[in-house]
Amino acid sequence: MGLGQYLPIFVMLVLALVFGAMSRVASHILAPRLSTVAKTDPYECGIDASQEPPERFPVTFYLVAMIFIVFDIEIIFMFPYAAVFSDLGVFGFVAVAIFAFALFESFVYLIGNGAMEWGPARKAKPEALVSPERTAATTIRRVGTEGRPAAAATVADRTPVPTEAA
Amino acid sequence: MSLLVTGSAIVAQQGDPLLFDVDLTAVGIVVGKVLVIFAFLLVATMFMVWFERKLISDMQNRIGPNLAGPFGILQTLADGIKFFFKEDLIPDRAQRRVFILAPFLSFVPAFLLFVVIPFGGDFNDGNAGVVTIFGRETFLQVADPPIGVLFILAMSSLAVYGAMLAGWSSGSKYPLLGSVRQSAQMISYEAAMGLAIIAVVVKTGSLSTHDIVVTQAGEGLGGILPNWGVLLTLGVPFVIFVIAATAELNRPPFDLVEAEQELVGGFHTEYSSIRFALFFLAEFMNTVTMSAIFVTLFLGGPAGPVLFGPGWLWGIIWFALKVFVFLFMFVWFRATLPRLRYDQLMDLGWKVLIPLSLGWILLLVALDLAQDQNWNLFAVGIGAAVVFFCAAMLLRAAVRSGQATRHTLEVPD
Repeated sequence: MGLGQYLPIFVMLVLALVFGAMSRVASHILAPRLSTVAKTDPYECGIDASQEPPERFPVTFYLVAMIFIVFDIEIIFMFPYAAVFSDLGVFGFVAVAIFAFALFESFVYLIGNGAMEWGPARKAKPEALVSPERTAATTIRRVGTEGRPAAAATVADRTPVPTEAA
Repeated sequence: MSLLVTGSAIVAQQGDPLLFDVDLTAVGIVVGKVLVIFAFLLVATMFMVWFERKLISDMQNRIGPNLAGPFGILQTLADGIKFFFKEDLIPDRAQRRVFILAPFLSFVPAFLLFVVIPFGGDFNDGNAGVVTIFGRETFLQVADPPIGVLFILAMSSLAVYGAMLAGWSSGSKYPLLGSVRQSAQMISYEAAMGLAIIAVVVKTGSLSTHDIVVTQAGEGLGGILPNWGVLLTLGVPFVIFVIAATAELNRPPFDLVEAEQELVGGFHTEYSSIRFALFFLAEFMNTVTMSAIFVTLFLGGPAGPVLFGPGWLWGIIWFALKVFVFLFMFVWFRATLPRLRYDQLMDLGWKVLIPLSLGWILLLVALDLAQDQNWNLFAVGIGAAVVFFCAAMLLRAAVRSGQATRHTLEVPD
């Protein structure tokens, strides 16, 4: 067997790296360099960047990465078994079935605890939040609660309400 | 064409016979094959970009690229050349070294992925796809390592690093959000993809891509149907692989990574010029390669009947035709399906595809064992159905209880 089988992969790796390096060199020679502050600012659709990129993310992203490790290891265990399962017979199948059960059980526990819940927050009274009718002034339907009274579907409610600030 | 002669020897050892003793001729042939595949990949990628644009145009009742070359086929080349003349910007807040490194991490695995794909050769009558080049027997496949399937998984995992580091090093919020999404999406679907591949390994008994094709070249059910992986694994892993591969490639309907309305361009927003071109190249090259992996695992690779003329050439023709089916499928998906929401994407991956593919592997193994041990297949089927049903109910209960943990939005009175 030997490592000879991996020789072409190495050759391809070198070729790909050379291709990448050549492209970079060509671009370096051919491309203009007219950098301005506006160009090297973070891209925010023409607006000056006002905030640093977020450093905190929903914890579910981290959970996905951690649960993935469990399944990745499971896959690594399954590959050798899949290649030789007929030699291992019933014993091998029972062993893998127990393994799969243990994995599935912990997976169910994770799901049951909401580790994979990405959905939007559940609304207590959705009908109180969104009025099916349009507001008087605009075509935008009333959605959400922040800074405004709950939208109700009555006509009286849709007349401009004087706020506390006013 | 006297260069290539179909050999008749059946390979006893695993691996490419060319590389058992490596000498200057062998190295020459290896370099030749690598160069051919390298050129093929670049041309195929260019073709794929053009094909996608043209087909989407047709589906949307417009003309699409039609000026550069016949039918606009040189449009991609023109775009590629234009990229060389564009200004190459590095944002002020970028982590410069990582920013420069990231495109390489993205496109080098894309090139490497194709080396384990058998792309030609005659697999009829126990030929095992051996051809003779310059008096040396070899496969029409760049490399045949004994762990070919694992190599595919490894390289497609490496591609995550390119996107992740590109987004992180840009120092800008949209690329960062895009890359975090992408990493989570790719690792999620990688698990489902790996499990779908295991189903094929169960039926073919080898991790070498060449052996997988050789097994599928045999006669199938009733002597009429081909012995392809899609039929051997009873269909379900194929469907899982279609979904998982589309998600892995970040193609529509799973292209949340570069959802323009939310994230501008996703992880490569800050990239310009040739650096962007390398990402773009990697993306479409991966599409071509993933189609080739489909063909290798599920549609018998280059195996097919020889109608006339040299057998190895028909291998290449069958391979190209089968790959084309999947290229068309990917474009068709893009033209047809609307984008998923992120929670739907994750729910599909984790709560449907992974448990289903895990169960399917056990089912395939149980059915094979039942045949070996002369068990009653009907009883095994009933037992499997009961186990599947119980597991599905358990999972459903867990999903319900998980949904109940979502925090509730307060509604003021």
